[in-house]
Amino acid sequence: MGVSRRTLGALFCALLVTAAVTSAAAASHTGTPGVSKNKITIGGTFPFTGPASLYATIPAAEQAYYAYVNAHGGVNHRKIDDIALDDGYDPSKTVPQTKKLVEQDHVFAVVGSLGTAPILSTWKYLNQKKIPQVLVATGDAYWGQCVHKAAPACGGKAKPWTMGWQPDYPGEAKVYAKYILNNKPNAKIGVLYQNDAYGQNYLNGLKTGLGAHKDQIVDAESYSVGDSAQVIGTHVAVLRAHGADTFVIFATPTPTIQALVARTLIGWSPLTLVNNVSANRLFLLSAAKNGASVDGVISSTYTASPTTQASLKGMKLATKIIQATGNQNLEQSLALGDGNIIYGLASAWTFVDALQHAGKNPTRASLMKALRKLNESGKNANPFIYPGMTVKTSKSRTFPMEQLKLIRWSGGKGGDWHSFGKLYTGIH
Amino acid sequence: MATAETSRLGGPRNRGAALGGVVSPVALVLVACAVGLLVGCLRSSLFAQLTVQGLALGSVYGSLALALVLVYRATRIVNFAQGELAMLTTYIAYQLIQWGLSYWEAFFATLAIAFVLGTVLEVTLIRPVLHRSTIAAVIVTVGLFILIDGVVNWIWGGAFRYMPSPFGTKVYRVGEVSISRLYPGMFVVVLISVVLVWALFRFTKLGLGMRAAAVRPAASALVGVRVDRMLAIGWGLAAVLGAVAGLMAEPSQFFLEPTLMQPILVYAFAAAALGGLESPGGAVVGGLIIGVALNLVVEYVPAISTELQLPFAFAVILAVLLVKPSGLFGRREVRRV
Amino acid sequence: MTRRLATLVSIAVVVAVLCLLPFILSDYNVGLVAQVGIFYIAVLGLDILTGYAGQISIGHGAFMMIGGYTTAVMSRDHHTNLIVTMLMAFAICFVVGVLLGLPALRLSGPYLALATFAFAVSVPQLPLEWSKFLGGRDGVETSQTVSNSWLYGVAWAASAILLVLAWLILRGRIGRAFRAVRDSEIAAVASGVELPVYKTLAFGISAAFCGVAGSLFVLATNGFAEPSEFGILLSLEILIGAAVAGLGSLWGILAGAAFVGLLPNVSSSVPVIGSTHGQDVVFGAAVILVMLLLPGGAAGLIARLTGARA
Repeated sequence: MGVSRRTLGALFCALLVTAAVTSAAAASHTGTPGVSKNKITIGGTFPFTGPASLYATIPAAEQAYYAYVNAHGGVNHRKIDDIALDDGYDPSKTVPQTKKLVEQDHVFAVVGSLGTAPILSTWKYLNQKKIPQVLVATGDAYWGQCVHKAAPACGGKAKPWTMGWQPDYPGEAKVYAKYILNNKPNAKIGVLYQNDAYGQNYLNGLKTGLGAHKDQIVDAESYSVGDSAQVIGTHVAVLRAHGADTFVIFATPTPTIQALVARTLIGWSPLTLVNNVSANRLFLLSAAKNGASVDGVISSTYTASPTTQASLKGMKLATKIIQATGNQNLEQSLALGDGNIIYGLASAWTFVDALQHAGKNPTRASLMKALRKLNESGKNANPFIYPGMTVKTSKSRTFPMEQLKLIRWSGGKGGDWHSFGKLYTGIH
Repeated sequence: MATAETSRLGGPRNRGAALGGVVSPVALVLVACAVGLLVGCLRSSLFAQLTVQGLALGSVYGSLALALVLVYRATRIVNFAQGELAMLTTYIAYQLIQWGLSYWEAFFATLAIAFVLGTVLEVTLIRPVLHRSTIAAVIVTVGLFILIDGVVNWIWGGAFRYMPSPFGTKVYRVGEVSISRLYPGMFVVVLISVVLVWALFRFTKLGLGMRAAAVRPAASALVGVRVDRMLAIGWGLAAVLGAVAGLMAEPSQFFLEPTLMQPILVYAFAAAALGGLESPGGAVVGGLIIGVALNLVVEYVPAISTELQLPFAFAVILAVLLVKPSGLFGRREVRRV
Repeated sequence: MTRRLATLVSIAVVVAVLCLLPFILSDYNVGLVAQVGIFYIAVLGLDILTGYAGQISIGHGAFMMIGGYTTAVMSRDHHTNLIVTMLMAFAICFVVGVLLGLPALRLSGPYLALATFAFAVSVPQLPLEWSKFLGGRDGVETSQTVSNSWLYGVAWAASAILLVLAWLILRGRIGRAFRAVRDSEIAAVASGVELPVYKTLAFGISAAFCGVAGSLFVLATNGFAEPSEFGILLSLEILIGAAVAGLGSLWGILAGAAFVGLLPNVSSSVPVIGSTHGQDVVFGAAVILVMLLLPGGAAGLIARLTGARA
């Protein structure tokens, strides 16, 4: 009896030790992590599942772009290997996944990770370890504000290794505020926003943009990530009951679609503005299919449209790159106008642009230097960005993109976004 | 563990007598609430809007709660995977539509598939474990919850899918209130399925056998009831009800995503606890109560914001359970030494 | 005599291995084994309640949350020493656990399970409501972060201390009272066991253990305490861990903790299904398989293999 237990214990421990040793063997590394003679390993966390899974085409597009670059020799003879891990838009999963990328996969840089809350849960860790956390797929103002400054909003310490890319949310909201004041000066504004840093960035931007007129916001309803359509519908009904005649939606795609449908179902037709990360053509088509009336909805854009601007060289290139993946779902999505795919291609283009300027043997520091000296304009314009817009950074300019164009939906169920008005610059 | 058996005798007469003493005060309160709702609807269009939406979604909660009750009555465990199973069957319906079936053809085909799926799960995964350990069977359902979620994400991916709405997108105008045809549609479909199940239990020999097997398995086996088979059928029916819940929930969420049933499962548990895990009728009524009450409370009681909706619902149910530990319509448990 | 010696030797071997591992494993894997230590404490706590006192709970993730937030808030606002915050978490969760045990006196079986489930889904909503103090969806961050080695050392040291504490409690009068309550409440009352005292005590002790686990859990998540970390899945994972461990025995807890602590991380690199979904499929299938093959958990297996009483 006693012998069996001892043997059991010993066997168990032997197994543990074997597992430990074999895993330890794979753990050694020299030189710049993630950079070898013929490969650069990068990675990021994305919502493949969960409440934000409608963004899953972004990493797919990024990987498609890297595949295209690799097929043309890579960067300085190195192929780019992009490890995209799922965090379900859940910051508590982002942390272990990011740790995995850094400590187990030894990535050169964390590129393109998506989501405000996910980034906030890992930026201290990555900055402490001096690992680039760049081109994050979120527009919070922090990524531009906290580069040099140690403001309280930045968690007390500057975060020089973190960098954004897309036009920032507060800036976008200010553009909407300007539009409302110019076109509907007596608007009674009702806002639906996500109850976290993401949503608050927008709401604060709107209030700043309205300035003295910010009491024109008659009600602001917040929702939690994962709330059902039922709850969203209730918020919409409440906004109408407050007398709002202008409806501003600062949400992720799912609640945005639900809000658009809900407002039609209760017979409400306010002037509606939607944030650009939820203004993908596919999302509006889905809302329309479910009965939402979408004509006249307003949003903004900074990428080219694969449908209304299909003749642009960049859009033709996009089609070529996506076709090369052989992924039919992705191709169909692009043909229908999935702006997320263009976003992914554009963001990946910027990364490769920076990598090419990071020297023959890039280090993490040289990558950051190149990223802080971007000049994608004129001859070197990003082919996937809205024609005429630029992606630029410098010591004083920490927000790579500062321009937006307003778009308005027309054509009903089978319609599309059409840009109008002037180009807004210096938005924040 | 000393699981108690309720001192229940079959048959309408006794059930009526037992009901008479326990349900009356509850029934009175419910009728009073219903009257209150009617008055509120007539006075405020927002109230009516919220009530109609609440009834529709409440019927979905009730349908899933009824599935939970059926499983509990048959096998004495709470099936954690009921919601995900419902979601899976909804995806199966989606796939059938993609392959060319019309919506209603896919609907009924899915119900049949759901029945088979439910019985197979009971026979292969639950039955072998149930005899040895109840907790192990519950854990199996938890594992199933996780597994189904993974499988659906794997096969169909996390992106949303569009399913044609069974009721169209027409919106009716009743005075100030706009009611989408969806809401009465949901309510009616769930009501029909619940009535059919009730009729099955009440009027057919199969139903009698199932009731007997749930209450007195040993005695029923002696009179020739195939108890094992009854349990499997119980799970099959539960899966069918879950499928109905999922198919009705999807249009209300506007598209199909793997997270479809997760918010609904939580409220279905609440409904089942509120109504009593032994009571099919209680589950449905519980669902309706929760659906309507949550909508109205969040709007008219400013202290309860949407974030507090869930804690509030459960606080109320806890209060109810403390007064009536077997739910509103459950029977008092009699502990036998 | 031989059995006691065998027990001591087995324990010594396990302790020796745990002391050696940080020197052999990579830093990332040290972090993984530290996670196992965290689950060890939580599963141990739940086993005391469900395995020994027979009260089912699917809500112990909420106690982890309370403990975790205690650490986060105290560290953020007062820069309290992290170990001290763990002791605070222990105390606070003990009190909350006893309070939760009070309504549990009236409920049993599935209703108790549902009530604890309700607790588990409700508590994560509270920071969303009181977001000024509790950080809302973005959560609360501690003022300092810890290394994987720190986590490993503290988690396993705490596991050892709490295991000894559990053993002392369970072998004495309290443990006997718990078992009496589990086996037959009526017989227990007839024998003079005051149900309310022991039932609430069981809740309190198990909650306190989970509180400590929660503190460590938050520290393992880069010092972030957020509602999304503490969803119902966490409570279910603790329950799965306890079931895989084998309820009512202290032997299998290491197996249960390793199961829920390691398997989800390992299964995410399953080749066929792909990293994004392989995790759930493999973990779910593994849970089902283990319950089908070993309904008595690891403890049941050990008991069968060694022919001893579980």
